[in-house]
Amino acid sequence: MSGLLAFGRFEVARLLRSWKFLAITVGFPVLFYILFLHDRSPGTVVDGQVTWRVYLMVSMCSFGALVAALNAGGSRLSTERASGWARQLRVTPIPAWSYVTTKVAATTLVVLPVLVLVELVGMAFGGVHLGVGTWIELTALLWVAAIPFSILGVFVGFMVNAETAYPVVTALMFVLGYFGGLFNPVGHMSAPLQTAARALPSFHQASLGLALVDGHGFGVQDAVVLVSYTAALALAVLWKHRVEESRGLA
Amino acid sequence: MSIVPDPILDTGGAAPALRFGDVVRRYGRHVALDHLDLQVARGETVALLGPNGAGKSTTISLLLGLLRPHGGCVEVLGTSPRQAVADGRVGAMLQTGSGSGLPPGVRVSGVLELVRRLYRRPAPLEVTVERAGIATLMRRPTNRLSGGEAQRVRFAVAIAGDPELVFLDEPTAAMDVESRRSFWAMMRQFGEEGRTIVFATHHLQEADQIADRVIVINRGTVVANGPGATLKAAVASRQVRFVTAHPDERMLDQLAGVTDVVVRGTGVTLISLDADATVTALVHSGLEFCDLEVTGAGLEEAFVALTECAIAPGQERAT
Repeated sequence: MSGLLAFGRFEVARLLRSWKFLAITVGFPVLFYILFLHDRSPGTVVDGQVTWRVYLMVSMCSFGALVAALNAGGSRLSTERASGWARQLRVTPIPAWSYVTTKVAATTLVVLPVLVLVELVGMAFGGVHLGVGTWIELTALLWVAAIPFSILGVFVGFMVNAETAYPVVTALMFVLGYFGGLFNPVGHMSAPLQTAARALPSFHQASLGLALVDGHGFGVQDAVVLVSYTAALALAVLWKHRVEESRGLA
Repeated sequence: MSIVPDPILDTGGAAPALRFGDVVRRYGRHVALDHLDLQVARGETVALLGPNGAGKSTTISLLLGLLRPHGGCVEVLGTSPRQAVADGRVGAMLQTGSGSGLPPGVRVSGVLELVRRLYRRPAPLEVTVERAGIATLMRRPTNRLSGGEAQRVRFAVAIAGDPELVFLDEPTAAMDVESRRSFWAMMRQFGEEGRTIVFATHHLQEADQIADRVIVINRGTVVANGPGATLKAAVASRQVRFVTAHPDERMLDQLAGVTDVVVRGTGVTLISLDADATVTALVHSGLEFCDLEVTGAGLEEAFVALTECAIAPGQERAT
């Protein structure tokens, strides 16, 4: 158990020490929030009853979580596997499954400060005012709902090699971010794009948060979609891990 | 060729360090290990010698529980490979290809600190640092190490848990001559402390000089097994070289004593177990030849004879 904790700490510390990782995961959502805030009047009501300033804050929280998870898992994991470190860990007493689970846990942990930071920027620059309870609920909800992103990141890291990881992660960030309606409210999209957005986990993750702020309460449908994604991705990772293990690679 | 003297090993009552019984491992249709048997006693330093693709890395992967056998049994320190690894009784330095085998974005000291925490009874940090000779590298980020330095750090990672048994898969692959020498000095020291060391190599000199015993593997089976000196004596091969206008490989292969024929243009090298008989047969064959030369056997030639690999003598084996 102490071995697992040590490994978890090691992973988190390594993420937080990476200048490149922090610049991308924290820089992108915060920068985009400030850049896009005055694209429309911040008080404009978009998509239901949420104002642009709130919509953008929640969306950038989702985007930040997405970017953090895909970078922490995807590119870093495939580089690490290519270097032979992942295999080296397999011949230490740490259990085989702990590599994957620790990666998901460490990524998820790093997502939290990203969410809080974007929220602070929303509060300071965007003029977002919510009750203390709502802030806490929103943060907790977005955080838990970001778990499928962490698993997706790890899955990408397992599927692609170090060279292709970067373009794949970039493409996923674009597809899930843009088509997931994180830069443009879904209500403003054409019908086919709306259908596409509703199929993506990023849309439902942000939608959970928006519904909460909106006063619609807990989005059961969003939750069902996210849980399904989580289960499917977890199974995919498990399958890939098994395959690699039988070949002596994992 | 069947020079497989089965050395009687005194395991002193305890389970041997490792036992490999009738092991079969395939990759698709390709048979990597073909009913391989081997045994290593505790405290032994054993080299697995063989050309690339002989099955050395597969053997080590099976012994570490990274692969499962398709047949036969694998036992490490009296238990299953996975259990031995989980108990922290085994350390390993695996082949990493072009990678460093170390996590990026962290100092060497950080990696060692983590690895030590993964074991229940790690060796004191100073001891590991001393054994691997990495005192000056501790504050260095892992991505700023030369090939030889990274290799030393990986050796430190392999021994940080104070294992009873250490596997090293081509440990000196990225090293120059000088670091190679100091690496083996380190290893020998480590082995003298009563630990079992199994290393794979295709460097014959390494196998001969470092190991108590050499197990030659080719095409997934053990072709020879014994101390380096014994192997050399057992093979006692000679090279018979000459030049001829029309080398006929099949005819040359039939000559008395010949175990291997290498033809390079008009130059012919015969590996022979009985040079006198081979030369006599050559003369009687009526073949016209010139520049006849007979040279003694090195372990290199013994190795070629054993593995029946058509590699020209003196030609550097690919790493």
